[in-house]
Amino acid sequence: MIKNGKEKLIRTVCPAHCGIDACGILAHVKGDRIVKLEPADFPDKRDRRICLRGLSSLDITYHPDRLKFPMKRVGERGEGKFERISWEEAFDIIADKFKNIAAKYGWKSIGWVLGGPGAGTTKFGAYLRIASLTQSTRVSSWGYGDAGLPCGSRVIFGSHLPYIYLFGKFWQRNWPELLIIWGTNPAETAPLQTMRKVLDSKENGSIVVVIDSRFTVTASKADEYLGLKPGTDSALALGLMHVIFQKSLHNKEFIQEHTNGPYLVRNDTGKFLRGKDIGARKAKAYIIWDQDSKSPKIIRRSNFSSASITGIYEVNGIECKPAFQLLMDLAKEYPPEKAADITGVEADLIVRLAKKIGTTKTATFFTYLGFTRTYHGDISLRGLATVASVTGHVATSFSSGSLPAILNWDPFLKAIPDKPSFHRIGILNLYDAVISGNPYPIKALWFAFINFLNQCVDCNKIINEFFPKLDFIVQTELFMTSTARYADLLLPVCSFLEFSDFIPQPYPYLQLQQKVIEPLYESKSDINIVAGVAERLGFGKYFKGGEEGLIDLILDHPSLKGVSIESLKMGAMYLKEIPEGGKFTLPFRTPSGKIELYAESLIEEGQALPLFLEPIEAPISPGEKKYPLIFIQGHSRFRTHTGFANVSSLLELNPEPLIEINPIDAKKRSISDNDMVTVFNDRGRTTLKARLTEGVRPGVVNITEGWWIDQFKEGSVNHLTHDIINPVQDKIYEPNMHMNDVAVEIIKSEEGGK
Amino acid sequence: MNKRLGLVIEQERCIGCEACIIACRIENHGTGPWIQVETQNVVQKDTPEGHFPNLTMTFLPRLCNHCSNPPCVDACPNEALVKRKDGPVVLDEDLCNGCQACMNACPYNVIIFNQEKNIIEKCNFCVHRIDQGLEPFCVICCEGQAIHFGDLNDPNSEISKIIASKETFQLKLEAKTIPSVYYCPPKPRKRL
Repeated sequence: MIKNGKEKLIRTVCPAHCGIDACGILAHVKGDRIVKLEPADFPDKRDRRICLRGLSSLDITYHPDRLKFPMKRVGERGEGKFERISWEEAFDIIADKFKNIAAKYGWKSIGWVLGGPGAGTTKFGAYLRIASLTQSTRVSSWGYGDAGLPCGSRVIFGSHLPYIYLFGKFWQRNWPELLIIWGTNPAETAPLQTMRKVLDSKENGSIVVVIDSRFTVTASKADEYLGLKPGTDSALALGLMHVIFQKSLHNKEFIQEHTNGPYLVRNDTGKFLRGKDIGARKAKAYIIWDQDSKSPKIIRRSNFSSASITGIYEVNGIECKPAFQLLMDLAKEYPPEKAADITGVEADLIVRLAKKIGTTKTATFFTYLGFTRTYHGDISLRGLATVASVTGHVATSFSSGSLPAILNWDPFLKAIPDKPSFHRIGILNLYDAVISGNPYPIKALWFAFINFLNQCVDCNKIINEFFPKLDFIVQTELFMTSTARYADLLLPVCSFLEFSDFIPQPYPYLQLQQKVIEPLYESKSDINIVAGVAERLGFGKYFKGGEEGLIDLILDHPSLKGVSIESLKMGAMYLKEIPEGGKFTLPFRTPSGKIELYAESLIEEGQALPLFLEPIEAPISPGEKKYPLIFIQGHSRFRTHTGFANVSSLLELNPEPLIEINPIDAKKRSISDNDMVTVFNDRGRTTLKARLTEGVRPGVVNITEGWWIDQFKEGSVNHLTHDIINPVQDKIYEPNMHMNDVAVEIIKSEEGGK
Repeated sequence: MNKRLGLVIEQERCIGCEACIIACRIENHGTGPWIQVETQNVVQKDTPEGHFPNLTMTFLPRLCNHCSNPPCVDACPNEALVKRKDGPVVLDEDLCNGCQACMNACPYNVIIFNQEKNIIEKCNFCVHRIDQGLEPFCVICCEGQAIHFGDLNDPNSEISKIIASKETFQLKLEAKTIPSVYYCPPKPRKRL
């Protein structure tokens, strides 16, 4: 705390769910009121930053609509009729309900739905701890849009996220000659941690290429823009590889050393040839074709440079090909013209990009989650990563890490070391668990930092089939959201300026989200709310010390020696030592220890290679389809998901939901700019204003996600989405919601403009 | 020599986020935007020009140019608007009678009228910050680090160096206002 005349200055962090931006903020406090926020200093001056949302945070803290005290429902669910109760009563009700439900259905029928904790750690950890102590169910929220990327990354790189391999060095300000931004719009979603670096990189000479279905702000900064159809990313990847292989621009040495491309695959089973197949003693070993001895050999450190990556070989009467040859065979089927036909990107542009990727010394593939929100989004990621791998543009030596992945989570994941922890279920699997009791019934849900009804797929299903099956719903919230109206118990939570948390972001910094003012009204932090419930359930001692007690649990780790709450109050600190497990070194954590161009685990599914499969619903070739338009949901700089949607200063700049439609599609439907239109399919409909723009490709319409249901004239984005599960993703990790793989039709609304 | 405080705004680095608008509001409590971000050559903001996929989208933040020859100062009958020796054109609210002559005189359309108080409002270059050695608030809140502040009369200032090394333009030079806000246009695209 620094005193500056009449004002106190307190350094804290905006932990909004834009994630790793985690901007340090200096709060100016007069008396007990925060009067201003400004960007706080970082040890490296270049990292001082804030965005328009962070700047507007006081409008959330001091919003007149804040929930002010605990309430229990008195009307029908959804009606929004509540009655004020005390915290003591709220905790008693929860404990009683939970005990009754647990007695009838077991503790695992109680689920904790944890949405976006942002950069916060203990506010998330507190819930993991109580879930672990009660052995109830943690509902993972990766599946609400963010599971496709991990599914793909787990297959090809063996890591949950592909970032370090694809662009870790870029994040460390190593500027490449070629920067490819694929399916993401950091100018609006990660303006500080990423977009500033994109601009720096361009200023330092990088050629910037953006691949996206929308001409985003990021695309407007590109040297070349590829406007592909949603869900066709892997066709583009195969088209690029076709050219790369045809012109022999792939990096043979890299493929031999770092991928499973040289490993022989049996033509009969599609499985890798193994030691046992050639009578070797090491029965499970992978086999390569050694070019020097012209014979099959067990792969060794000493022989990969002589391993053949192409050709057909007969080994003990078994016909085999190196996995890379199979990839070449697949790519051969995607000449640029065919790839152009599928993706909608000019063939000539595909050829030029492929040549550049294949001939440039340093290329970085920057990507994020948006383009993986299609049914085969996991393969889309594999496609992109395969292009990077065959051209050697994947980092294989990287002495850096990201702390959150390897934080000291043990006290939260497993509160009592020798006892079992919580059960885990994906958020898309939750639908079936609640509605049909598969794989087991869930009867009570606690929603924290999530506006479930607003953000999860198929609103009508949630309202009509999902909520009615639940015996008890608890929501911690700042506002009366659409989900909050369905809660049985509604608990007022603090804004980030009213409680403390540990923020191990942005890499390589550690920061303290420091409590700036006391909680307003009767609000409490999630941590203290959980502590209150834990007390009633007999687990009070695990939450001693409240927020700071939980922060100390994380800081109590050898790699964080010398870091204390007090030291963090002075400002951001550097993470001095990267903890073991946080270092990204070889081998890759795949079954082969290599980058897996060919995934043996997905042979049965026919997805061993990153092939192109059509989206499940998005009509990439509409023809005479009933719902001919592809509906996608971009992200807006005015919101972090649903956060900030009710902030008046931002609403002045961006007052209402719009559906972006290309003038060609609008003309066919006699729609003009600013007309009210109804967007619909068999699941639901929404009515809002049309914005005619060339910024979306013909055949695609976009509404930015996060607008609250009440802000639409009718319906919302998720009245149109579906809950179809991709079983392959379910098998790999967790099924994803495919928000960008939806078909709709649009008509001009009869009611006319607002 | 007196200072001539000014800005250089790089369009290449402007991502049109409008954080400058929010920042200005927080710092100066204006009733309307003292700075606006225009999406060039289109009717609706945040939409590109051209036909898909051959498109461009360029943002132009517009604010008071703190002209060396400010027509608003000349037009003000009460001398409420003053050109400071170090460059900023500032308003003395006490002297403003709300006649709006300055708004008619300004070729940049960046002066707004506060109906409630019957005075005009405009960017004052955050003189309360400048006088403490700080930069204007929009400069430190710019997401793309597109806005640079400094002394145009000092050849060693960051902004003088940018002007010396990059292509720049100013708005409505024909109005002979001698603006203190310079813009760097977007760089030409490199082809693959």
